[in-house]
Amino acid sequence: MRIQVVAAVAVVSLSATGVALAALPKGKALAIMHERHEGMEKIGDTNKLLSREFRSGTPFAPAVKSGAATLAGLAKRSSGWFPAGTGPEMGKTGAKPEIWQNQRDFAAKLVAFQRAAAAFNAAAASGDMGAAKARYADLGGTCKACHDSYRSEMHH
Amino acid sequence: MPRQLPLGDAPLTGKQPVWDLPVRLVHWTLAGLVVFSWWSVHNHHTDWHIWSGIAILTLLLFRLMWGFVGSSTARWTGFIRGPRTVVDYLRGRWTGIGHTPLGALSVIALFLAVAVQVGLGLISEDEDGLYYGPLASLVSPATSDWARDLHETWFETAIVGLVALHVAAIIFYRLRGKSLTLPMVTGKAALDRRAAPMRRGKWWVALICLALAFAIARWVVAGAPPFGA
Repeated sequence: MRIQVVAAVAVVSLSATGVALAALPKGKALAIMHERHEGMEKIGDTNKLLSREFRSGTPFAPAVKSGAATLAGLAKRSSGWFPAGTGPEMGKTGAKPEIWQNQRDFAAKLVAFQRAAAAFNAAAASGDMGAAKARYADLGGTCKACHDSYRSEMHH
Repeated sequence: MPRQLPLGDAPLTGKQPVWDLPVRLVHWTLAGLVVFSWWSVHNHHTDWHIWSGIAILTLLLFRLMWGFVGSSTARWTGFIRGPRTVVDYLRGRWTGIGHTPLGALSVIALFLAVAVQVGLGLISEDEDGLYYGPLASLVSPATSDWARDLHETWFETAIVGLVALHVAAIIFYRLRGKSLTLPMVTGKAALDRRAAPMRRGKWWVALICLALAFAIARWVVAGAPPFGA
């Protein structure tokens, strides 16, 4: 965990200091923001389907497994979604500037999300829907923890 | 009968009951919860927002029932009138207590607008799929998203518009020398002497309505039909 956070801080802050070294080219920044937006939207859509499965009381295991795998994959990719220079100063985004002001905290929350997504994926893959439901709840907690501080309302 | 201005210059008598306690409590609690709902959803308290909506649902259910079995001024049949009566009122030819024929239209519009808002909220979920109304599982994610967008638009247009009209009417009457706010606090107003006094509803009937409203709201919270989809 500690190493991951340090690594994540390094990634985020490296890009922050990168402002001095070489600012992210605009085209590249916009491409990352687009990928981030699409990725977050996909996470949301997958989450909506999963939450319906669990709320039904009788989750359909193949749907849960597939959704969990999708989330775990997107969570991994999210490490590259927040380089400095991809905030609201660059374009329309739900990412708050606080992400780059509290990099250590943000990186820790991102890692917590990735670990929770991996744990949920493992539980879902095992076929134990009870365990999967518990890990799914943990995962939702990590989403909320980060969004409360770092996501703004975005209308599109 | 001499022609009279509609706004408060009818022959008045001393202060008499016009709004019973349930009507006043519903009014002020609803006003408070609407403001709280708006505040909470814009300040990362979506969970509080949802509970506030369920409290509003409970109020509406209670008020709906109290409109059939409550005090005379609370009853739907007492204040829902045709256009002819509204015209009569505007010409100063209306005597009565409680909602005026014009005010009644505003009450019904507000009640319906808030009911629509609650209905949309019940099937909504947030953009991230992290918070959802108790009946969201009964519809598809696409429908929930649609309901959420409309829930927001409906607030910004219908609810804000009707609340603004409501407040504007209060200010208008206040400038003409008639306070509508004070009677909604104290329950009493100087009334037209020719009008029949309010017949008060029974307290135990109010309690039964409240218990029923809680029971129905509890059923909705559980996810409705056979407890969830």
